[in-house]
Amino acid sequence: MLEIKNLHASVDGKDILKGINLTVKPGEVHAIMGPNGAGKSTLSNVLAGRDGYEITQGSVTFQDEDLLALEAEERARRGVFLAFQYPVEIPGVSNIYLLKAALNAVRTHQGLEELDAMDFLTLVREKLKLVKMDEDFMYRGVNEGFSGGEKKRNEILQMALLEPTLAILDETDSGLDIDALKTVSEGVNALRSADRSIVMITHYQRLLDYIVPDFVHVLSDGQIVKSGDKELAKELESKGYSWVHAEGPAA
Amino acid sequence: MKQLNELATPFATVAESSDLPGQDLPWLQALRQRALTQFSTAGLPAKKQEDWKYTSLWNLSQHPFTHQAVESTVDAAQVEDLALLDDAYRLVIVDGVYVATLSQLDDLPVGLTVRPFSASLDSVKQQLGQQVALDKVGLTALNTLLMKEGVMVHVAADTVVDKPIELLVINSGATADLATHLRNMIVLDVNAQATVVEHYVGVTDGVNFTNVVSEVVLAEQTELFHYKLQQESHQAFHIATLAAKQAAGSQWHTQNITLGGKLSRNDVHSRLEGEQSHTTMDGLYLLNDEQHADTHTRIDHLVPNTTSNELYKGVLNDECHGVFNGKVIVHQDAQKTDSNQYNHNLLLSRGCAIDTKPEMEIYADDVKCGHGSTVGQLDMDQLFFLRARGLDDVTARSLLTHAFAVDVLARLPSETIRQALSAVIEQRLPRGEKS
Repeated sequence: MLEIKNLHASVDGKDILKGINLTVKPGEVHAIMGPNGAGKSTLSNVLAGRDGYEITQGSVTFQDEDLLALEAEERARRGVFLAFQYPVEIPGVSNIYLLKAALNAVRTHQGLEELDAMDFLTLVREKLKLVKMDEDFMYRGVNEGFSGGEKKRNEILQMALLEPTLAILDETDSGLDIDALKTVSEGVNALRSADRSIVMITHYQRLLDYIVPDFVHVLSDGQIVKSGDKELAKELESKGYSWVHAEGPAA
Repeated sequence: MKQLNELATPFATVAESSDLPGQDLPWLQALRQRALTQFSTAGLPAKKQEDWKYTSLWNLSQHPFTHQAVESTVDAAQVEDLALLDDAYRLVIVDGVYVATLSQLDDLPVGLTVRPFSASLDSVKQQLGQQVALDKVGLTALNTLLMKEGVMVHVAADTVVDKPIELLVINSGATADLATHLRNMIVLDVNAQATVVEHYVGVTDGVNFTNVVSEVVLAEQTELFHYKLQQESHQAFHIATLAAKQAAGSQWHTQNITLGGKLSRNDVHSRLEGEQSHTTMDGLYLLNDEQHADTHTRIDHLVPNTTSNELYKGVLNDECHGVFNGKVIVHQDAQKTDSNQYNHNLLLSRGCAIDTKPEMEIYADDVKCGHGSTVGQLDMDQLFFLRARGLDDVTARSLLTHAFAVDVLARLPSETIRQALSAVIEQRLPRGEKS
């Protein structure tokens, strides 16, 4: 489904990603771990199509398409979803409006009719339960005045509604207390399916106790230096990132 | 600028030859004569005057305007289409002429009078010209010399008007280069409450000149929600003066929305003359092409315990030019004044420009005042967020621009008017794919 080959990316002339290789098959959950500055957020931004990154080498193929040739909105419509590390507040644009516009953009791309107001509301209410959010949130500005946990739940709500093929969760656990982490994780777990892949980017192993990955990769200085299963995360937790640095890049 | 008398002479001729109302009223003739003298002395404002530093009236002064309108063909269906509000008392002026058949002034409630200015001269006599100074701005003098039509709204004591009153001023384009000088008078007696919408619309993209003066007199404990929506042609000149005197406990809430006009200028002025009185002075200018819009506001806090809130927002695109100059004056006696004034601008292109100057002059020592202005661009993080949710770039920009603009509208309570204005503003934004 997703194939990243020798991906190099730079920002303002500075190389951040230095040859990433990663293959994600349908239904798999991959965790990408790494210390600060390893290039984790750059990778998620490059995959989602944020401006300001120069791809100097390599390729990213998503469902047989060249992902890097698509605009951010085209990627979203094809089922790539980025759950933001820091979801922005957008006063003046209501949550419900955003959800509707986003869902209709995806549906239109899929050749489906837009949902009518009643069907849409029914769907939203169902998804709200999943992330334990009150309907009141729908009529507030996007993330406006939301707590850190509410913002992250809102991201998962959007993901639940849009039903992406590939979800990239960028530090979704950051800034969450244990209750919020549980809620968010339950939301994500409920969305696991055989045809949906998830790439979790995280600094800490904690999240992986709640969303158990099939694969764990360690990103360091712009490269994946070690890959393994969930046991790798535990080893990392006990030995620290310096351990993988010492071992050097994976072959 | 032309020589003053050379400038004034043709207008004197217009005044003599036009069918101006009140020729038989000596007091009005005397007022018009004073206005002529004043206009002849002051002329049109020039850029060397501080208040007109950024706005040149050269093109206006050079344009050959006519003051005689030919008959227009605006019909009832068109009025329905152009009106902002469906459910309102409505007075319609087309090309400077009051049209009774297009107006909706039957069934006015007890205590409310809405009449054309030309038919209200006796009743406005006491207060006409009391809210505006003839001596400072030639345009007010010109208006006073040539004022022909407008609306007179009077709300009797203790009356709460149940529906908004919409003054719909239509420039049909039937007469090319038409100049109209409108005078509105809004008077609320003690304890009255009303909502008034001044709405100026251009039907074609022709040139016209609207010069309007609106005077507002608010007695004790009154509350007026006062909207102005300007949607004139992008070739039009629109000059508006809006001035209120406020007695104790009165509240004047203004919302001033400028969308049209090649050159527009708004002077909004409130005088808080009674304690516990309050002014809300809000507005929005949404400009593109080569539009030029200049807003000058002034709030005088004259007595203790008065308050004012001011928020003007600007959205500027293409090669347009916006000017905002807000002045709050807290006079020596006006202790315990609470005032804030803000101007925020969103620039969407490299070619547009804004000159903004919020000002406060404070002569009292026990006051709470704040002011400021910002100029910025769309937030790239917000834009990316929306695109990452599947909204195309144009739709996302349009949505963010709309969000920036419409929060001004939320500051007044009428949901119906807020929605109507929001829809009008939405139409002016760049359109993306339907999403």
